Amino acid sequence: MTETTAPMNTKGISIHELGVTFTPEGSEPVEALRPTSMEIEPGEFIALVGPSGCGKSTLLNVLAGFIKPSVGRALVGGDPITKPNIDHGMVFQDYALFPWLNVIDNVAFGLERQGMALAERHDRAREYLEMVGLKDFADKRVNELSGGMKQRVAIARVFATDPSIILMDEPFGALDALTRRFLQHQLLDIWQKNRKTVVFVTHSVQEAIYLASRVIVMTARPGRVKLDQTVDLPHPRDFASAEFRDYEKIIYDQLDEELAKTFKLEGGQGMFHD
Amino acid sequence: MKPPAKTAASILPYLWAAIFIVVVWQLVVVFTKAHVALLPPPLLAAETFAHLVATGELFVHVGASLGRVVSAWVLSALVAIPLGLAMGRWRRFEHLVDPVVELFRPISPLAWIPLAILWFGIGETGKIFIIFIATFFPILLNTVSGVKSVDPVLIRAGQVLGCETDQALFRKVILPAAMPTIVVGLRISFGTGWAAIIAAELVAAQVGLGYLIADGMEILRSDLVLVGMVAIGILGVAIDAVFRIVNDRYSWGG
Repeated sequence: MTETTAPMNTKGISIHELGVTFTPEGSEPVEALRPTSMEIEPGEFIALVGPSGCGKSTLLNVLAGFIKPSVGRALVGGDPITKPNIDHGMVFQDYALFPWLNVIDNVAFGLERQGMALAERHDRAREYLEMVGLKDFADKRVNELSGGMKQRVAIARVFATDPSIILMDEPFGALDALTRRFLQHQLLDIWQKNRKTVVFVTHSVQEAIYLASRVIVMTARPGRVKLDQTVDLPHPRDFASAEFRDYEKIIYDQLDEELAKTFKLEGGQGMFHD
Repeated sequence: MKPPAKTAASILPYLWAAIFIVVVWQLVVVFTKAHVALLPPPLLAAETFAHLVATGELFVHVGASLGRVVSAWVLSALVAIPLGLAMGRWRRFEHLVDPVVELFRPISPLAWIPLAILWFGIGETGKIFIIFIATFFPILLNTVSGVKSVDPVLIRAGQVLGCETDQALFRKVILPAAMPTIVVGLRISFGTGWAAIIAAELVAAQVGLGYLIADGMEILRSDLVLVGMVAIGILGVAIDAVFRIVNDRYSWGG
Protein backbone atom coordinates (compact mmCIF):
# COMPACT_ATOMS: atom_id res chain seq x y z
CA MET A 1 0.00 0.00 0.00
CA THR A 2 1.25 3.42 -0.86
CA GLU A 3 0.53 6.02 1.77
CA THR A 4 -1.23 8.43 -0.51
CA THR A 5 -1.51 11.99 0.57
CA ALA A 6 -2.57 13.03 -2.93
CA PRO A 7 -6.23 14.00 -3.28
CA MET A 8 -8.29 10.84 -3.69
CA ASN A 9 -11.86 10.17 -4.47
CA THR A 10 -13.80 11.38 -1.46
CA LYS A 11 -16.93 13.47 -1.23
CA GLY A 12 -19.06 15.13 1.40
CA ILE A 13 -22.69 14.30 2.14
CA SER A 14 -25.52 16.83 2.51
CA ILE A 15 -28.77 15.76 4.06
CA HIS A 16 -31.64 18.25 3.79
CA GLU A 17 -34.82 17.72 5.81
CA LEU A 18 -34.71 14.06 4.93
CA GLY A 19 -37.48 11.90 6.35
CA VAL A 20 -38.69 8.35 5.79
CA THR A 21 -42.17 7.03 6.47
CA PHE A 22 -42.97 3.41 5.78
CA THR A 23 -46.52 2.42 4.95
CA PRO A 24 -46.86 -1.32 5.41
CA GLU A 25 -49.75 -2.75 3.39
CA GLY A 26 -53.02 -2.48 5.28
CA SER A 27 -51.68 -0.73 8.36
CA GLU A 28 -50.85 2.70 9.69
CA PRO A 29 -47.81 4.52 8.31
CA VAL A 30 -44.74 4.34 10.54
CA GLU A 31 -42.40 7.32 10.69
CA ALA A 32 -38.93 5.79 10.82
CA LEU A 33 -36.94 8.97 10.36
CA ARG A 34 -38.22 12.42 11.20
CA PRO A 35 -37.01 15.08 8.74
CA THR A 36 -33.36 15.57 9.58
CA SER A 37 -30.54 17.70 8.22
CA MET A 38 -26.84 17.04 8.42
CA GLU A 39 -23.65 18.17 6.72
CA ILE A 40 -20.77 15.73 6.44
CA GLU A 41 -17.44 17.04 5.20
CA PRO A 42 -15.30 15.06 2.75
CA GLY A 43 -13.03 12.66 4.66
CA GLU A 44 -15.00 12.79 7.92
CA PHE A 45 -15.62 9.65 9.95
CA ILE A 46 -19.16 9.84 11.31
CA ALA A 47 -20.55 7.40 13.87
CA LEU A 48 -24.33 7.09 14.19
CA VAL A 49 -25.53 5.75 17.53
CA GLY A 50 -29.01 5.42 18.96
CA PRO A 51 -31.50 2.97 20.41
CA SER A 52 -32.74 0.07 18.26
CA GLY A 53 -35.27 1.15 15.71
CA CYS A 54 -34.18 4.80 15.80
CA GLY A 55 -33.80 4.92 12.06
CA LYS A 56 -30.01 4.93 11.85
CA SER A 57 -29.99 1.95 9.54
CA THR A 58 -32.84 3.52 7.58
CA LEU A 59 -30.74 6.64 7.09
CA LEU A 60 -27.82 4.51 5.96
CA ASN A 61 -30.03 2.64 3.49
CA VAL A 62 -31.20 5.95 2.05
CA LEU A 63 -27.59 7.03 1.60
CA ALA A 64 -26.84 3.71 -0.11
CA GLY A 65 -29.78 4.23 -2.46
CA PHE A 66 -31.73 1.18 -1.27
CA ILE A 67 -34.61 3.23 0.13
CA LYS A 68 -36.16 6.37 -1.37
CA PRO A 69 -36.76 9.15 1.16
CA SER A 70 -40.38 10.21 1.68
CA VAL A 71 -39.39 13.88 2.04
CA GLY A 72 -36.24 15.89 1.64
CA ARG A 73 -33.09 14.83 -0.15
CA ALA A 74 -29.57 13.57 0.28
CA LEU A 75 -26.65 14.65 -1.87
CA VAL A 76 -23.23 13.12 -2.28
CA GLY A 77 -20.76 15.67 -3.57
CA GLY A 78 -23.71 17.78 -4.74
CA ASP A 79 -25.41 15.00 -6.71
CA PRO A 80 -28.69 13.52 -5.48
CA ILE A 81 -28.66 9.86 -4.53
CA THR A 82 -31.01 7.99 -6.83
CA LYS A 83 -29.99 4.34 -6.78
CA PRO A 84 -27.28 2.01 -5.48
CA ASN A 85 -23.97 2.94 -7.02
CA ILE A 86 -20.45 1.59 -6.90
CA ASP A 87 -19.27 5.04 -5.87
CA HIS A 88 -21.17 4.64 -2.59
CA GLY A 89 -19.53 1.61 -1.00
CA MET A 90 -21.10 -0.40 1.79
CA VAL A 91 -19.96 -2.86 4.45
CA PHE A 92 -22.73 -5.05 5.85
CA GLN A 93 -23.07 -6.55 9.31
CA ASP A 94 -23.19 -10.12 7.96
CA TYR A 95 -20.27 -9.57 5.56
CA ALA A 96 -22.23 -10.25 2.34
CA LEU A 97 -19.32 -11.98 0.65
CA PHE A 98 -20.10 -14.05 -2.44
CA PRO A 99 -19.61 -17.68 -1.35
CA TRP A 100 -19.13 -19.00 -4.89
CA LEU A 101 -16.04 -16.83 -5.36
CA ASN A 102 -12.73 -17.20 -3.59
CA VAL A 103 -11.31 -14.42 -1.46
CA ILE A 104 -9.41 -12.56 -4.17
CA ASP A 105 -12.32 -12.64 -6.61
CA ASN A 106 -14.58 -11.23 -3.91
CA VAL A 107 -12.23 -8.28 -3.52
CA ALA A 108 -11.93 -7.96 -7.32
CA PHE A 109 -15.71 -8.17 -7.93
CA GLY A 110 -16.30 -4.41 -8.03
CA LEU A 111 -13.10 -3.85 -10.02
CA GLU A 112 -14.37 -6.20 -12.71
CA ARG A 113 -17.62 -4.25 -12.85
CA GLN A 114 -15.53 -1.10 -13.28
CA GLY A 115 -14.03 -2.75 -16.36
CA MET A 116 -10.57 -3.51 -15.04
CA ALA A 117 -8.64 -6.32 -16.78
CA LEU A 118 -8.05 -9.58 -14.91
CA ALA A 119 -4.33 -9.21 -14.18
CA GLU A 120 -4.70 -5.63 -13.08
CA ARG A 121 -7.67 -6.26 -10.81
CA HIS A 122 -5.97 -9.22 -9.18
CA ASP A 123 -2.92 -7.04 -8.52
CA ARG A 124 -5.13 -4.39 -6.98
CA ALA A 125 -7.12 -6.93 -4.98
CA ARG A 126 -3.90 -8.46 -3.64
CA GLU A 127 -2.71 -5.02 -2.61
CA TYR A 128 -5.88 -4.44 -0.57
CA LEU A 129 -5.79 -7.95 0.89
CA GLU A 130 -2.30 -7.18 2.09
CA MET A 131 -3.65 -4.02 3.68
CA VAL A 132 -6.04 -6.09 5.82
CA GLY A 133 -3.36 -8.71 6.45
CA LEU A 134 -4.96 -11.49 4.40
CA LYS A 135 -2.61 -11.73 1.45
CA ASP A 136 -1.96 -15.41 2.10
CA PHE A 137 -5.68 -16.19 2.03
CA ALA A 138 -6.27 -14.94 -1.53
CA ASP A 139 -7.13 -18.37 -2.94
CA LYS A 140 -9.19 -19.60 0.02
CA ARG A 141 -12.88 -20.13 -0.20
CA VAL A 142 -14.93 -17.63 1.75
CA ASN A 143 -16.46 -20.27 4.01
CA GLU A 144 -13.04 -21.32 5.21
CA LEU A 145 -12.63 -17.95 6.94
CA SER A 146 -13.66 -16.83 10.44
CA GLY A 147 -16.17 -14.01 10.90
CA GLY A 148 -13.48 -11.46 11.59
CA MET A 149 -11.53 -12.49 8.49
CA LYS A 150 -14.67 -12.30 6.37
CA GLN A 151 -15.28 -8.74 7.49
CA ARG A 152 -11.68 -7.82 6.69
CA VAL A 153 -12.22 -9.18 3.17
CA ALA A 154 -15.38 -7.06 2.94
CA ILE A 155 -13.41 -4.01 4.06
CA ALA A 156 -10.70 -4.71 1.45
CA ARG A 157 -13.46 -5.16 -1.14
CA VAL A 158 -15.04 -1.79 -0.46
CA PHE A 159 -11.79 0.20 -0.28
CA ALA A 160 -10.44 -1.46 -3.46
CA THR A 161 -13.13 0.13 -5.65
CA ASP A 162 -12.17 3.59 -4.34
CA PRO A 163 -15.69 4.87 -3.62
CA SER A 164 -16.23 8.49 -2.60
CA ILE A 165 -18.17 7.49 0.52
CA ILE A 166 -18.26 4.29 2.58
CA LEU A 167 -21.30 3.25 4.58
CA MET A 168 -20.87 0.72 7.35
CA ASP A 169 -23.90 -0.91 8.95
CA GLU A 170 -22.81 -2.29 12.34
CA PRO A 171 -19.88 -4.00 10.64
CA PHE A 172 -18.42 -5.41 13.86
CA GLY A 173 -21.74 -6.17 15.55
CA ALA A 174 -21.52 -9.93 15.02
CA LEU A 175 -17.92 -10.30 16.19
CA ASP A 176 -16.51 -11.20 19.60
CA ALA A 177 -15.01 -8.44 21.70
CA LEU A 178 -11.34 -9.19 21.00
CA THR A 179 -11.77 -9.56 17.24
CA ARG A 180 -13.79 -6.38 17.36
CA ARG A 181 -10.99 -4.43 19.02
CA PHE A 182 -8.51 -5.69 16.45
CA LEU A 183 -10.75 -4.74 13.54
CA GLN A 184 -11.47 -1.29 14.97
CA HIS A 185 -7.76 -0.68 15.12
CA GLN A 186 -7.22 -1.99 11.60
CA LEU A 187 -10.10 0.02 10.13
CA LEU A 188 -8.78 3.17 11.72
CA ASP A 189 -5.36 2.48 10.27
CA ILE A 190 -6.81 2.04 6.80
CA TRP A 191 -8.98 5.12 7.12
CA GLN A 192 -6.01 7.22 8.13
CA LYS A 193 -4.27 6.17 4.92
CA ASN A 194 -7.42 6.44 2.75
CA ARG A 195 -9.33 9.42 4.06
CA LYS A 196 -12.72 8.39 2.81
CA THR A 197 -15.95 9.82 4.09
CA VAL A 198 -17.26 7.08 6.36
CA VAL A 199 -20.71 6.79 7.93
CA PHE A 200 -20.56 4.08 10.56
CA VAL A 201 -23.63 2.78 12.37
CA THR A 202 -22.98 1.15 15.73
CA HIS A 203 -24.60 0.25 19.04
CA SER A 204 -21.35 0.74 20.91
CA VAL A 205 -20.64 4.20 22.33
CA GLN A 206 -17.06 3.18 23.00
CA GLU A 207 -16.56 2.08 19.41
CA ALA A 208 -18.07 5.34 18.16
CA ILE A 209 -15.74 7.51 20.25
CA TYR A 210 -12.71 5.36 19.44
CA LEU A 211 -13.22 5.65 15.68
CA ALA A 212 -15.19 8.71 14.74
CA SER A 213 -14.37 12.34 14.22
CA ARG A 214 -18.03 13.11 14.98
CA VAL A 215 -20.58 11.06 16.90
CA ILE A 216 -24.23 11.65 16.08
CA VAL A 217 -26.77 10.45 18.65
CA MET A 218 -30.24 9.76 17.30
CA THR A 219 -33.48 9.89 19.27
CA ALA A 220 -35.84 6.97 19.78
CA ARG A 221 -38.31 6.37 16.95
CA PRO A 222 -39.09 8.44 15.02
CA GLY A 223 -35.39 9.16 14.77
CA ARG A 224 -33.82 12.56 14.44
CA VAL A 225 -30.50 14.06 15.49
CA LYS A 226 -30.33 14.51 19.26
CA LEU A 227 -26.65 15.31 19.65
CA ASP A 228 -23.89 16.07 17.19
CA GLN A 229 -20.62 15.71 19.10
CA THR A 230 -17.20 16.32 17.60
CA VAL A 231 -14.55 14.06 19.13
CA ASP A 232 -11.43 16.10 19.45
CA LEU A 233 -8.85 13.52 20.50
CA PRO A 234 -5.73 12.39 18.65
CA HIS A 235 -5.50 8.80 17.41
CA PRO A 236 -4.85 6.23 18.76
CA ARG A 237 -7.42 6.98 21.43
CA ASP A 238 -7.11 5.49 24.89
CA PHE A 239 -10.33 3.92 26.21
CA ALA A 240 -9.15 4.48 29.79
CA SER A 241 -8.18 8.15 29.51
CA ALA A 242 -10.16 10.81 31.36
CA GLU A 243 -10.97 12.65 28.12
CA PHE A 244 -12.35 9.47 26.57
CA ARG A 245 -14.50 8.95 29.69
CA ASP A 246 -15.79 12.52 29.44
CA TYR A 247 -17.00 11.94 25.89
CA GLU A 248 -18.59 8.68 26.98
CA LYS A 249 -20.47 10.52 29.74
CA ILE A 250 -21.74 13.24 27.38
CA ILE A 251 -23.02 10.67 24.91
CA TYR A 252 -24.47 8.24 27.46
CA ASP A 253 -26.37 11.07 29.16
CA GLN A 254 -28.13 11.83 25.91
CA LEU A 255 -28.54 8.21 24.95
CA ASP A 256 -30.00 7.17 28.31
CA GLU A 257 -32.90 9.57 27.92
CA GLU A 258 -33.71 7.95 24.61
CA LEU A 259 -33.23 4.43 25.94
CA ALA A 260 -35.67 5.22 28.76
CA LYS A 261 -38.23 6.33 26.15
CA THR A 262 -37.67 3.16 24.18
CA PHE A 263 -38.18 0.99 27.26
CA LYS A 264 -41.37 2.88 28.06
CA LEU A 265 -42.61 2.30 24.52
CA GLU A 266 -41.85 -1.38 24.94
CA GLY A 267 -43.78 -1.53 28.21
CA GLY A 268 -40.91 -1.15 30.67
CA GLN A 269 -40.92 1.03 33.78
CA GLY A 270 -38.94 3.81 32.18
CA MET A 271 -36.27 3.53 34.88
CA PHE A 272 -32.77 3.39 33.58
CA HIS A 273 -29.56 3.57 35.60
CA ASP A 274 -26.11 3.39 34.14
CA MET B 1 -9.83 -36.54 -8.42
CA LYS B 2 -10.66 -39.09 -5.75
CA PRO B 3 -7.95 -41.58 -4.84
CA PRO B 4 -8.71 -45.11 -6.11
CA ALA B 5 -9.16 -46.50 -2.58
CA LYS B 6 -11.95 -44.02 -1.90
CA THR B 7 -13.66 -44.82 -5.19
CA ALA B 8 -13.54 -48.52 -4.33
CA ALA B 9 -15.04 -47.77 -0.93
CA SER B 10 -17.94 -45.93 -2.51
CA ILE B 11 -18.63 -48.73 -5.00
CA LEU B 12 -18.45 -51.52 -2.41
CA PRO B 13 -21.96 -51.03 -0.94
CA TYR B 14 -23.44 -51.27 -4.44
CA LEU B 15 -21.51 -54.49 -5.00
CA TRP B 16 -22.94 -55.99 -1.81
CA ALA B 17 -26.43 -54.91 -2.82
CA ALA B 18 -25.98 -56.53 -6.24
CA ILE B 19 -24.79 -59.79 -4.70
CA PHE B 20 -27.75 -59.76 -2.31
CA ILE B 21 -30.21 -59.27 -5.17
CA VAL B 22 -28.67 -62.06 -7.25
CA VAL B 23 -28.77 -64.48 -4.28
CA VAL B 24 -32.43 -63.73 -3.56
CA TRP B 25 -33.25 -63.99 -7.26
CA GLN B 26 -31.56 -67.41 -7.50
CA LEU B 27 -33.36 -68.60 -4.36
CA VAL B 28 -36.73 -67.56 -5.79
CA VAL B 29 -35.96 -69.45 -9.02
CA VAL B 30 -34.92 -72.57 -7.07
CA PHE B 31 -37.84 -72.61 -4.63
CA THR B 32 -40.68 -71.64 -6.99
CA LYS B 33 -39.29 -73.71 -9.88
CA ALA B 34 -40.28 -70.79 -12.10
CA HIS B 35 -40.60 -71.40 -15.82
CA VAL B 36 -37.66 -69.90 -17.71
CA ALA B 37 -40.02 -67.71 -19.76
CA LEU B 38 -41.34 -66.12 -16.57
CA LEU B 39 -38.20 -65.83 -14.46
CA PRO B 40 -34.88 -66.97 -15.86
CA PRO B 41 -32.04 -67.79 -13.44
CA PRO B 42 -29.47 -65.01 -12.96
CA LEU B 43 -26.88 -66.92 -14.96
CA LEU B 44 -29.07 -67.03 -18.08
CA ALA B 45 -29.82 -63.32 -17.71
CA ALA B 46 -26.10 -62.66 -17.38
CA GLU B 47 -25.43 -64.65 -20.54
CA THR B 48 -28.07 -62.70 -22.43
CA PHE B 49 -26.58 -59.47 -21.08
CA ALA B 50 -23.11 -60.50 -22.26
CA HIS B 51 -24.52 -61.47 -25.64
CA LEU B 52 -26.29 -58.15 -26.10
CA VAL B 53 -23.10 -56.33 -25.08
CA ALA B 54 -21.00 -58.42 -27.47
CA THR B 55 -23.30 -57.82 -30.43
CA GLY B 56 -23.53 -54.14 -29.49
CA GLU B 57 -27.32 -54.36 -29.46
CA LEU B 58 -27.54 -53.18 -25.86
CA PHE B 59 -25.59 -50.03 -26.65
CA VAL B 60 -27.98 -49.19 -29.46
CA HIS B 61 -30.89 -49.33 -27.00
CA VAL B 62 -29.03 -47.45 -24.30
CA GLY B 63 -27.89 -44.84 -26.80
CA ALA B 64 -31.42 -44.34 -28.11
CA SER B 65 -32.91 -43.93 -24.63
CA LEU B 66 -30.12 -41.73 -23.34
CA GLY B 67 -30.19 -39.58 -26.46
CA ARG B 68 -33.90 -38.92 -26.05
CA VAL B 69 -33.62 -38.10 -22.37
CA VAL B 70 -30.59 -35.84 -22.79
CA SER B 71 -32.03 -33.85 -25.67
CA ALA B 72 -35.41 -33.38 -23.98
CA TRP B 73 -33.76 -32.56 -20.68
CA VAL B 74 -31.52 -29.91 -22.25
CA LEU B 75 -34.50 -28.43 -24.04
CA SER B 76 -36.45 -28.42 -20.82
CA ALA B 77 -33.61 -26.71 -18.93
CA LEU B 78 -33.34 -24.05 -21.62
CA VAL B 79 -36.98 -23.13 -21.02
CA ALA B 80 -37.39 -23.85 -17.31
CA ILE B 81 -34.28 -22.06 -16.00
CA PRO B 82 -34.98 -18.63 -17.56
CA LEU B 83 -38.66 -18.96 -16.67
CA GLY B 84 -37.77 -19.94 -13.10
CA LEU B 85 -35.33 -17.03 -12.78
CA ALA B 86 -38.04 -14.62 -13.86
CA MET B 87 -40.66 -16.18 -11.58
CA GLY B 88 -38.32 -16.13 -8.61
CA ARG B 89 -37.33 -12.51 -9.14
CA TRP B 90 -40.61 -10.85 -10.10
CA ARG B 91 -43.51 -11.52 -7.75
CA ARG B 92 -46.17 -10.27 -10.15
CA PHE B 93 -44.94 -12.53 -12.91
CA GLU B 94 -44.95 -15.45 -10.51
CA HIS B 95 -48.53 -14.74 -9.45
CA LEU B 96 -49.47 -14.81 -13.11
CA VAL B 97 -47.67 -18.00 -14.10
CA ASP B 98 -47.82 -20.04 -10.90
CA PRO B 99 -51.49 -21.11 -11.15
CA VAL B 100 -50.86 -22.47 -14.65
CA VAL B 101 -47.84 -24.40 -13.39
CA GLU B 102 -49.76 -25.75 -10.40
CA LEU B 103 -52.59 -27.00 -12.62
CA PHE B 104 -50.24 -28.87 -14.94
CA ARG B 105 -47.83 -30.18 -12.33
CA PRO B 106 -50.00 -32.93 -10.76
CA ILE B 107 -50.63 -34.49 -14.17
CA SER B 108 -48.19 -37.37 -14.50
CA PRO B 109 -46.06 -37.22 -17.63
CA LEU B 110 -47.36 -40.72 -18.35
CA ALA B 111 -50.86 -39.32 -18.71
CA TRP B 112 -49.57 -37.31 -21.65
CA ILE B 113 -48.50 -40.42 -23.57
CA PRO B 114 -51.82 -40.96 -25.39
CA LEU B 115 -51.98 -37.33 -26.48
CA ALA B 116 -48.33 -37.41 -27.49
CA ILE B 117 -49.01 -40.40 -29.74
CA LEU B 118 -52.11 -38.75 -31.23
CA TRP B 119 -50.29 -35.49 -31.86
CA PHE B 120 -46.84 -36.63 -32.85
CA GLY B 121 -47.25 -40.29 -33.75
CA ILE B 122 -44.75 -42.84 -32.50
CA GLY B 123 -41.65 -40.99 -33.72
CA GLU B 124 -39.00 -39.18 -31.70
CA THR B 125 -40.97 -35.96 -31.23
CA GLY B 126 -43.60 -37.60 -29.06
CA LYS B 127 -41.00 -39.09 -26.72
CA ILE B 128 -39.09 -35.84 -26.47
CA PHE B 129 -42.41 -34.19 -25.62
CA ILE B 130 -43.08 -36.66 -22.79
CA ILE B 131 -39.60 -36.28 -21.32
CA PHE B 132 -39.83 -32.53 -21.65
CA ILE B 133 -42.92 -32.57 -19.46
CA ALA B 134 -41.36 -35.02 -17.01
CA THR B 135 -38.20 -32.95 -16.56
CA PHE B 136 -39.71 -29.48 -16.76
CA PHE B 137 -41.29 -29.06 -13.32
CA PRO B 138 -38.41 -30.20 -11.10
CA ILE B 139 -36.07 -27.78 -12.90
CA LEU B 140 -38.59 -24.95 -12.80
CA LEU B 141 -39.52 -25.33 -9.14
CA ASN B 142 -35.91 -25.66 -8.00
CA THR B 143 -34.89 -22.60 -9.99
CA VAL B 144 -37.72 -20.55 -8.48
CA SER B 145 -36.86 -21.62 -4.94
CA GLY B 146 -33.14 -21.11 -5.63
CA VAL B 147 -33.73 -17.52 -6.72
CA LYS B 148 -36.09 -16.81 -3.84
CA SER B 149 -33.63 -18.08 -1.27
CA VAL B 150 -30.80 -15.84 -2.48
CA ASP B 151 -29.80 -13.80 0.56
CA PRO B 152 -31.15 -10.25 -0.09
CA VAL B 153 -27.96 -8.81 1.37
CA LEU B 154 -25.98 -10.44 -1.47
CA ILE B 155 -28.22 -8.65 -3.96
CA ARG B 156 -27.58 -5.37 -2.16
CA ALA B 157 -23.86 -6.09 -2.11
CA GLY B 158 -24.01 -6.73 -5.87
CA GLN B 159 -25.81 -3.43 -6.38
CA VAL B 160 -23.28 -1.36 -4.46
CA LEU B 161 -20.47 -3.18 -6.26
CA GLY B 162 -21.50 -2.10 -9.71
CA CYS B 163 -24.33 -4.41 -10.84
CA GLU B 164 -26.60 -1.56 -11.77
CA THR B 165 -28.79 -3.32 -14.30
CA ASP B 166 -31.05 -6.28 -13.59
CA GLN B 167 -29.18 -8.21 -16.25
CA ALA B 168 -25.81 -7.73 -14.53
CA LEU B 169 -27.35 -8.64 -11.20
CA PHE B 170 -28.76 -11.86 -12.65
CA ARG B 171 -25.51 -12.86 -14.27
CA LYS B 172 -23.11 -11.95 -11.49
CA VAL B 173 -25.15 -12.56 -8.32
CA ILE B 174 -28.54 -14.24 -8.62
CA LEU B 175 -27.62 -17.04 -11.02
CA PRO B 176 -24.43 -18.13 -9.22
CA ALA B 177 -26.15 -17.85 -5.83
CA ALA B 178 -29.05 -20.01 -7.02
CA MET B 179 -26.81 -22.45 -8.89
CA PRO B 180 -26.56 -25.19 -6.23
CA THR B 181 -30.37 -25.42 -6.02
CA ILE B 182 -30.68 -25.37 -9.81
CA VAL B 183 -28.17 -28.23 -10.09
CA VAL B 184 -30.27 -30.24 -7.63
CA GLY B 185 -33.29 -29.61 -9.87
CA LEU B 186 -31.34 -30.76 -12.91
CA ARG B 187 -30.33 -33.91 -11.09
CA ILE B 188 -33.84 -34.75 -9.88
CA SER B 189 -35.32 -34.05 -13.30
CA PHE B 190 -32.87 -36.33 -15.04
CA GLY B 191 -34.11 -39.08 -12.74
CA THR B 192 -37.77 -38.39 -13.50
CA GLY B 193 -36.94 -38.14 -17.21
CA TRP B 194 -35.09 -41.45 -17.09
CA ALA B 195 -38.09 -43.10 -15.44
CA ALA B 196 -40.52 -41.61 -17.95
CA ILE B 197 -38.58 -42.57 -21.09
CA ILE B 198 -38.95 -46.24 -20.28
CA ALA B 199 -42.71 -45.81 -19.98
CA ALA B 200 -42.87 -43.85 -23.22
CA GLU B 201 -40.83 -46.51 -25.03
CA LEU B 202 -42.93 -49.34 -23.59
CA VAL B 203 -45.90 -48.00 -25.48
CA ALA B 204 -44.43 -46.98 -28.77
CA ALA B 205 -40.88 -47.45 -29.99
CA GLN B 206 -38.66 -49.51 -32.27
CA VAL B 207 -35.51 -49.01 -30.23
CA GLY B 208 -34.59 -48.10 -26.67
CA LEU B 209 -34.45 -49.87 -23.32
CA GLY B 210 -38.21 -49.58 -22.89
CA TYR B 211 -38.65 -51.23 -26.26
CA LEU B 212 -36.23 -54.01 -25.28
CA ILE B 213 -38.36 -54.73 -22.21
CA ALA B 214 -41.69 -54.58 -24.05
CA ASP B 215 -40.37 -56.74 -26.87
CA GLY B 216 -39.02 -59.28 -24.36
CA MET B 217 -42.46 -59.55 -22.85
CA GLU B 218 -44.18 -60.06 -26.18
CA ILE B 219 -41.88 -62.84 -27.34
CA LEU B 220 -41.83 -64.42 -23.85
CA ARG B 221 -38.13 -63.70 -23.30
CA SER B 222 -38.07 -62.56 -19.70
CA ASP B 223 -34.27 -62.66 -19.80
CA LEU B 224 -34.42 -59.71 -22.22
CA VAL B 225 -36.84 -57.94 -19.87
CA LEU B 226 -34.43 -58.42 -16.98
CA VAL B 227 -31.40 -57.29 -19.00
CA GLY B 228 -33.30 -54.10 -19.82
CA MET B 229 -34.17 -53.58 -16.17
CA VAL B 230 -30.63 -54.19 -14.99
CA ALA B 231 -29.28 -51.76 -17.58
CA ILE B 232 -31.74 -49.12 -16.35
CA GLY B 233 -30.62 -49.61 -12.77
CA ILE B 234 -26.90 -49.47 -13.52
CA LEU B 235 -27.24 -46.40 -15.72
CA GLY B 236 -29.42 -44.66 -13.17
CA VAL B 237 -26.78 -45.09 -10.47
CA ALA B 238 -23.96 -44.07 -12.83
CA ILE B 239 -25.71 -40.92 -14.00
CA ASP B 240 -26.53 -39.92 -10.46
CA ALA B 241 -22.87 -40.36 -9.52
CA VAL B 242 -21.87 -37.96 -12.31
CA PHE B 243 -24.39 -35.45 -11.02
CA ARG B 244 -23.05 -35.75 -7.51
CA ILE B 245 -19.60 -34.77 -8.78
CA VAL B 246 -21.09 -31.77 -10.57
CA ASN B 247 -23.04 -30.96 -7.44
CA ASP B 248 -19.89 -30.92 -5.33
CA ARG B 249 -18.34 -28.50 -7.76
CA TYR B 250 -21.23 -26.09 -7.54
CA SER B 251 -21.93 -26.20 -3.85
CA TRP B 252 -19.73 -24.11 -1.66
CA GLY B 253 -20.47 -25.79 1.64
CA GLY B 254 -22.66 -24.01 4.15
